[in-house]
Amino acid sequence: MNETAVSVSPPKSAVKGPKRGRWRKHFWGYAFVLPAVIIFLLFLWLPILKGIVYSFYHVDFVKGNTFVGMDNYETVFRDPVVWKAVKNTLYYVLLCLVIGFWVPILFAIAISELKKFQGFARIAAYLPYVVPVVVLYGLWRWLYDPVGPFNAVLMKLGIGQINFMTDTKWSMISLVVMETWQQFGSAMLIYLAAVLSIPKDWYEAAEIDGAGVWKRIRHITLPSIRHQIALLLVLQLIATSQGYQSQLAMLDGGPNNATLTYALYIVKYAFNNLNYGVASALGVLMFLVLGVLAVVQHRLSNRGGDAS
Amino acid sequence: MKQAERGILSAYDLKKPANKIAYAAMSLVIAAMVVSMLYPIAVAFFNGVKANVEVNTFPPRFLPKEWHWENYVTGWKYIDLTLYLRNTIYIFLGNMVATVLVLGLASFSLSRLNWPYRKAAYYFFLVTLFIPPTTYIIPNFINLKDLGLMNTFWAFWLPAGANAFFLLLLKSFFDGLNQELFESARIDGASELRCFFQLAFPLSVPIFATLAIFVFSNAWNEWFWPSMVLGGEHYPLSTAIKRFVIDARRLDTNIRFAILTMVMIPPIFVFLIFQRYIVRGLHLGGVKG
Repeated sequence: MNETAVSVSPPKSAVKGPKRGRWRKHFWGYAFVLPAVIIFLLFLWLPILKGIVYSFYHVDFVKGNTFVGMDNYETVFRDPVVWKAVKNTLYYVLLCLVIGFWVPILFAIAISELKKFQGFARIAAYLPYVVPVVVLYGLWRWLYDPVGPFNAVLMKLGIGQINFMTDTKWSMISLVVMETWQQFGSAMLIYLAAVLSIPKDWYEAAEIDGAGVWKRIRHITLPSIRHQIALLLVLQLIATSQGYQSQLAMLDGGPNNATLTYALYIVKYAFNNLNYGVASALGVLMFLVLGVLAVVQHRLSNRGGDAS
Repeated sequence: MKQAERGILSAYDLKKPANKIAYAAMSLVIAAMVVSMLYPIAVAFFNGVKANVEVNTFPPRFLPKEWHWENYVTGWKYIDLTLYLRNTIYIFLGNMVATVLVLGLASFSLSRLNWPYRKAAYYFFLVTLFIPPTTYIIPNFINLKDLGLMNTFWAFWLPAGANAFFLLLLKSFFDGLNQELFESARIDGASELRCFFQLAFPLSVPIFATLAIFVFSNAWNEWFWPSMVLGGEHYPLSTAIKRFVIDARRLDTNIRFAILTMVMIPPIFVFLIFQRYIVRGLHLGGVKG
C-alpha cells in the first residue's frame, strides 16, 4: 500500500517552514478524508457511543435524560421476555442453518452439472431477490393463509389444515422457509462461481483412479469451496442473529411471542414501549456477543481473499 | 471426446443406470425449484386480474376465470405510486452522490495520497465493520432526532457516506489502478481534485456501478427504517407498500395483488436486461462480505 502511494511533495525550495510545509504537502490528503471522518464520527461513532451512554440513562425527549446507573441492565436481566427472545433468536439461527444453509450449496453443485438451461436456472433462482421484500411479504401472507394455496394442497392430500402463521409450532419455521426461498439465490451464485472454477482435470484424474461420483463431490468439490462455505456460514450467523424484519413484517413477533427475536425486542422496546434506555442496554449486550462473531468473519474473509 | 465439456460427471458416468437416474432426479429437483420460484410471482399476477370473489374462493384457482384489467386502474388510483417511486429515487440518487463524494474521495486519499497517520485513519473507518448495525439502531434513531434530520432525506443521504464496506471495496479498487497515470498527470500540473474526477473516477466506473446496484437495492428494499425516520409523504416505495397496501385492513385482495404486481414487474425486467452486470457485481460484494 505504502509503496503504491505517491507523495505529492512540491519542490523543497517551495516549502517555507517545516510545520506549514507539512500541512501544505499533505493538504489534499487530509482534505479528501475529512468529509468521511466527519460523517463517520457523526453517524457511526456518535450513535455507538451514545448507545453505551444511554444504556445508563432513562431517556426522555421532553424532560431530559436522567442517570439511572445499572437500572436498565437490571430490567433486562429480570425480564423473562428477554430470555424468551434469546431462545427464539437461537432457534431462528438454528432453523436457518438446518432449513436454509445447505440449499444453495446443493443447487450450486446441481446447476453446475446442467448441460442445458444453466443460465435460466440461475436467473430463476435469483429472481425473488430482485422483487422488493415487502411485496414478497404480502405474497407469502396469502400463500400461508388458512385458505391459501398451500393449505388447499394439504387438504387435497388429506393431511389437513396447518396454520402456518398462527400456530406457534409452525410460525418460525414458515418464516425461515419463506426467507430461504427469497434469499438462497445470491449465496448460490457465489457457490456456483466457485464450483465452476474447479479445474476439470481434477475430476478426470479422480475418475481414472476409480473415484465414484459421490466421492468426487465429497473429496474434490466440497473441499474446493470450503472457504466460501465458511465465510457464508459466518455471514449468515451474523445476519440471522440480528434478524427481525420478516418477523416484524409478517407476524409482529406473535403469535404469543413465538417469533419475537432479540433484535425485534430491541425495536419494540424503543418504538412501542418508548423505553430507549433499556433498548440501548439490550443493544450493548447484543454487541458484546456479536462483536466476537464479526471478528471471526473478518479473519475468514481475509483468508478467503488470499486463497482465491 | 471433448474434454472441456465434462463437469463432476463424465460422459462415461452417465452410461451407468444408477447415475442416469440420479441425474434425472437432480434435473427434476432443479425444475421444481425453478417452478417454485416462478409460481408465487405468477400467482401474484393472476390474482391481480381476478375478481375479488374469485381470489377468496377455496380452493384457489391458478388461472383467472375472467380477466379484470380494471383492477390496475383501481390500484393505481388507490396509491400514488409515482410519488413514492420518486422518493425512492431521490434517496437512491442522494445516497449515490454521498458514496461517490465522501467515500470516493476518502478511499482515493487512503489509497493514492501519502500522508502521516494514514493507517490509523484507515482503521478508524474499518473498525466500524465489526459493529453490527442492529446493536445501535436505537441510539442511531435518537441521534438523527438530535441532529434535527427527522423527516428529511438528509437522514439517509448523510449516513450513506458512513459505509466502511464500500470504502473498503473502493480502496482496494483504487489500489489496483495504474500508478504512472497519476504521476504523469501530476507532472502535467493536474491538481489532486482533477486526478480524482478526471482520472480515478472514470477509471472506476465498474466499481461505482457495482456500488450503485447495492445502494439501489438498499433504497429499494428498506422499509422499516424509513417508516421510523420519515413521515408519510416522504415514504419510499417499499415503506408505502408495507404501510398502505400490505397492512391495509379494507383493501380488496385482488386490488392488493394488482398493486403488488405493478411494483414487482418493472424490477424483474430491469434485472433481466442488466442481469450480467448485476450478478457480477453481487458476486464481487458477496465474496468480500
